[in-house]
Parts: sequence; C-alpha cells; structure tokens
Amino acid sequence: MKKLILVPKEVTAIPVEAEVISPTVIAGRTLDEVQRLNVYQGKVKLTLADHFDVTGEVAETPAEQIIVVDGDAPHVKYMGAAMDAGRLVVKGDAGMHTGSQMAGGELTVEGSAADWAGAEMKGGVLRIDGDARHLLGAAYRGSSEGMTGGCIVVGGGVGSEAASFMRRGMIVVKGDTAPFTGVHMNGGEILVFGRAGKRLGAQAKGNGGFMACFGGVEELLPTYMYDTTYSPTFMRLYLRQLAETLNVEEALRYLDKPLKRYRGDLAVGGNAEILIAEP
Amino acid sequence: MTVFTDVVCPFCGCLCDDLEVTVEDGHVKGVKNACGISRSKFLNHEKNRLEAPTVDGVEVPLEKAVDAAADILSTSMRPLVYGLSSTECVAIAKAVELAELAGGVVDNTSSVCHGPTILALQQVGESKTTLGEVKNRADLVIFWGSNPSQAHLRHIIRYSGMAKGRFIPNGRKDRYIVAVDIRKTGTTRLADEYVKVEPNRDFELLQALRAAVRGHELLAESVAGVPREKVTELAERMKTAKFGIVFFGLGLTQSEGRHMNIDAAVGLVAELNNHTKFLLTPMRGHYNVGGANTVTTWQTGYPYAVDFSRGYPRYNPGEYTSIDMLARGEADSALVIASDPVSTFPAGVVRNLAKIPVVTLDHKVTPTTMLSKVVIPVATAGVEAEGTAYRMDGVPLRLSKLVEPREGVHSDAEVLEMMIKRMGGRAY
Repeated sequence: MKKLILVPKEVTAIPVEAEVISPTVIAGRTLDEVQRLNVYQGKVKLTLADHFDVTGEVAETPAEQIIVVDGDAPHVKYMGAAMDAGRLVVKGDAGMHTGSQMAGGELTVEGSAADWAGAEMKGGVLRIDGDARHLLGAAYRGSSEGMTGGCIVVGGGVGSEAASFMRRGMIVVKGDTAPFTGVHMNGGEILVFGRAGKRLGAQAKGNGGFMACFGGVEELLPTYMYDTTYSPTFMRLYLRQLAETLNVEEALRYLDKPLKRYRGDLAVGGNAEILIAEP
Repeated sequence: MTVFTDVVCPFCGCLCDDLEVTVEDGHVKGVKNACGISRSKFLNHEKNRLEAPTVDGVEVPLEKAVDAAADILSTSMRPLVYGLSSTECVAIAKAVELAELAGGVVDNTSSVCHGPTILALQQVGESKTTLGEVKNRADLVIFWGSNPSQAHLRHIIRYSGMAKGRFIPNGRKDRYIVAVDIRKTGTTRLADEYVKVEPNRDFELLQALRAAVRGHELLAESVAGVPREKVTELAERMKTAKFGIVFFGLGLTQSEGRHMNIDAAVGLVAELNNHTKFLLTPMRGHYNVGGANTVTTWQTGYPYAVDFSRGYPRYNPGEYTSIDMLARGEADSALVIASDPVSTFPAGVVRNLAKIPVVTLDHKVTPTTMLSKVVIPVATAGVEAEGTAYRMDGVPLRLSKLVEPREGVHSDAEVLEMMIKRMGGRAY
C-alpha cells in the first residue's frame, strides 16, 4: 500500500468541497496532478494544494492507496464520497457527507463526523471513532433509498434520522442515538449499545431488517406491539462477529441476554422488528 | 376618487381577493371587506418608509447603491440570497437569477416556516385541494397546530368554517370542526371538538390515528395525552366524513419532529383516502411564500435552499438553508429581499449576519435595514406594484397596483434587474 498524506493548512468558516480526497480519484495520477486536483470553496475553484500540504506516494490502483488526512478537517466536505476501494484515514474531525455513497474500501474518522456521513452508502466500511451528527447513513432528501450496503461503526453517539430509508447494510452505534433512528427503514440492521432515542423505527416496514437495542430505549412508539421475549441464535452470531471483525467488544456482554421483540410500525402496516435486551 | 374592486390582499397566505380599496389623490383612503391586519397594511403603507438608498448609512443615488450591492455579491465567495415571500413572482424569478449569477445560495422564508412540509411532501407525496373545494364540500375540518382565528383572520369565514358552499348549504351548521393544539386558542374555542395534545407529541398522535384508521387496536391507555377512546372516536369520525380536510400550521412544522410530523400527517390522510375523500393543506403565512417555492422550483427544480456555487443547482435543506449557513458562519454576504430576518432569526444567527455585508431591498425601516450596509427602498408589491402571488393552496392570483410609488422608487423586480445587468447578466 502507498501512503499519501494531506495536512490541512487551516480550518475555514466557508467549507471546502473535496470529493477528490478519495483513493478512487487519486490513484493512477502523479503527485503533481494530485496537487492540482480541483476543490471548491464557495464559488471559488481552487486546487488541493491550496488547502492541504500534499506529500507521499500515489498508487497505481485505488486498492493500493492509503490517504491520511493528518489533522482536523471539519470544514472539508465529501471526503471519501463514492470511494470504492483503498483506505482513507482522517486523523481528526470530518465535514459533511464524509463517505457518502461510498461503495467499497475502508474509511476511518478518528474524530467526529458532520451530517450525512455515509449517506446512501453502498458498500465498504466506515468507522467514526467519535460522534456522528444527523442523517448518518441516511437517504438524501427526496430519495426513498438510503443505505443499501456496507457497514458503519460509530464509537460515540449519532444524531437524528440515522439510517433513514435504510434498505440493506449495517449500522453499529456504541453510544446513544437521537430520535427517528431507522425512520422508513425497509431492511438492514441497526445495533445500538447506548440508549436508543424515541421514535425509533417510525414508519418502518421491516422487510427482514431489525433494530437491536442493548442499552435501553427512551420510549417506543405506541404503534409498536410487544410479541415475545426470546434469545435468537442469529443475534449471538452477529454479536460474536461484531467483536471479532469490527472490534465492538461490548457486543460480547450481551451474548446471553434475552431480547424483547416488538413489531411495527402498525401505522404503515409494517413488520419491522425492534429487539430490546433485558437489563 | 377611484374605487378598486376585487383587490387581492398582500398579507397572509389566504390572499383574500374580494377587497374594495378607495384611492384619492394617490393615497389609499379606505378598505372594505378586509381583516384588521389587511386594512392596516393598506392604510399605513406610507408610514415608516425608507426614504432613500443608502450605503453605510449615507444617502446615495440609486445607481451607486446598485453598484455597491452588485460589488458585494460579485466579490463574495459564499453569498446568500434570502427572503422573497412577501414580494411578487417576477421579483422572485430575478432573485433566483441573481443568485445563479453570484454563484450563491438562494433560500426563502420556507426554511423557517413550512420547509418541513415541503421536505415531507417530497418524501411521501401530497393530496392537494383548493380552498374553493373546501368551501363547497368539506364537512369535517381539522385545524392542527394552527390558529386561523388570529393568524389567517378570514380563513374560517371565507373558506373553512362559516362559508356556505354548494354541498354545504348551511355553512357552519353543516361542518364539524376539530382543533388539535397544545393550548386553548381562538380556534379551539369556536371548534366543535378540541383535542389537547401534549407539546411535541403530535407525531405519536398522528401515528396512533393512522393505526386506528387501519383497524389496529391501541394498547396504550392514552397517546400524547389523548385518551385511547378519543383517538378511536376521532379516527372513526375521519373515516365517516364525506369530505375531510386537515389544515396544519407551524405547531406541527416547527415542533419536535418537524418534517416527520408532516410525513405522518400525509400518511394519515393517504390512509383515510381508502375510506373517504380526505386532503390536507398547509396554512402558509407570508402571502407569497407559495410563490417563492413555486418560482424557485420552475427555475432550479427545487423549492428552497438551492446552492449555485458549483454552477448548477443543488438542494439540501440543513446544509443550504439560511439559518444553518449563518449559524455556521458560512455566508460571507447576504442579499435580503422583502424580509426581516433580524426580527425572526435566532440571536446567534443574527450576530453572524451582523458580521457580514448585508444588502436589503425593502419598503419599510426594519431591524434588518438598520444593520445593512446597502439599503434600497422599493415599492410595496400589491399596493404600489402589480404582480402575481400564490395562495396557500397553490392558486395564483394577480396583485394590483393601486397607487404610484414615490418618485425614484422602483419595484423589487426592477431593482433586481438593475443588479443583474450590473453583474453582467442578460437583459430582457
């Protein structure tokens, strides 16, 4: 793997749109070409080198490329957007749309990520060590299809409407979630190890997906009905895999916990599952 | 003395079109059929007016003010164009064109009122109707989080409550009115039924109603403070109405849940259409906020929060909405047209607005004109300038020019056209 290092020169109030910070875009170019890739600040077209000190090596293919953004970049939008291979590591905070529509590879944000991180994600792994703000892995406005694949692991909490219109894929949140997680969800898996916010699974239809809450739920909608309490085999498999492959070690604490199963959202004739671990 | 009839009122989203305005010696002397607010707008339109264009508080010729405004917008990296809901449609079209030329963001007051409605309607669709249809057919009227008795004063009289219609011959006696609100208001007092919902719990109640309409039995004793029996009873009343309508206001769009509340309301109405005819209409506040959405959609494909910085329109409420941009300190200049954000935006946002050069087009002195670098007085649309406005139900109506503006004062559209030419845009 070849490593390219981008050091942000400053954090600006007017954000910088830099979808070029992606192994998919950068691989196969010369370092000089990479430095001259266009980024946008407001209506002004600039180069990557105007905002970042660019050093290191460029790989022939995206799969061989590691990009390290060495510092806070909360003002930089679209990092890793639509990337399909390779690795991107942001050693600090990341701006809006980080990893949106990514299809493969691995993106790690060591700080927190702004709104729409992993929006409409199709594949790959997005790790956010800090918090993720609103609309994590969500559908963009007007779209009826959010996340359709891949995996998002958040070390902290997440904002509202995470996983809206989720179809497939997995979101794991170690902290708390804000309201409307899994709204309009129609497939996929959400696992919350902190406290799940209210209106969880609102308007969700189900279609094979589930929302598993291991740290309690603030309040369930009146349109979710209690079914049973059980210990499904598949959950043990999930939890072991989370611990072994994604380093979500808290998952192991819940291996033998019975789960209360609720079904809804009855307002939309849904058959989605909310599974709540007994304390 | 001239009497103008069928004048359209440029105040709220009702756009009452039956006003009679008497003009004498170029001044409005009398107004008939209008509500108190409308009458006051017509009779006092000459008071508290901006006297002359200013730059940094110094009076300048109009051309100088236009030059200064154009320079600010041209040299900014991230200009914001905001307002537009209290002017006519040609001005709105020109403001969108200007935003495109400036490579900025154009947003209207929807983002602080019914923006959540638009978001939800884009997500789940809309069952639309006109106020005329409501007047002639609606036998069940539900006001949810709206108080027309104080905000849309003639709505109940002309369309939704007292009005006699073709299939509602006895007016109020033929209608059942339900008011859902967190507290008693003038509207809840005149309603047949008041449903008191706990603050920020409308979403739960809407969901429960929808489930009840689908025939599910609710297990909870009460939902959002409303007893289960009352939820079931209301659901049954909605299903058995001949023609039902939900008028919803900011109580629904600006409380917790925002666009998801509307999403749930639309879902409820869609469900009810399996049983009867049911519709919903937002109670739009500013008289042409519907026009601002409509015109912006004609030109860009999107109703508000449109960014032109990459040379093509992009839409993302939350990212390109004015309050969000200003809260993040992202805009480096602003053009405000027919609006007063300083009076309506949160304090922190106003503080950021005060840090950047602001250009304001308005007819009156406002807190926003007071902090603006460039101020250009304009004619009052619907009194001194004609144009088109869109009623809350999407019906376009023609605003009248009743009196001449003061010499040297132009309409919003004319001033914006000057700025477009100054910035090198096409003239037409």
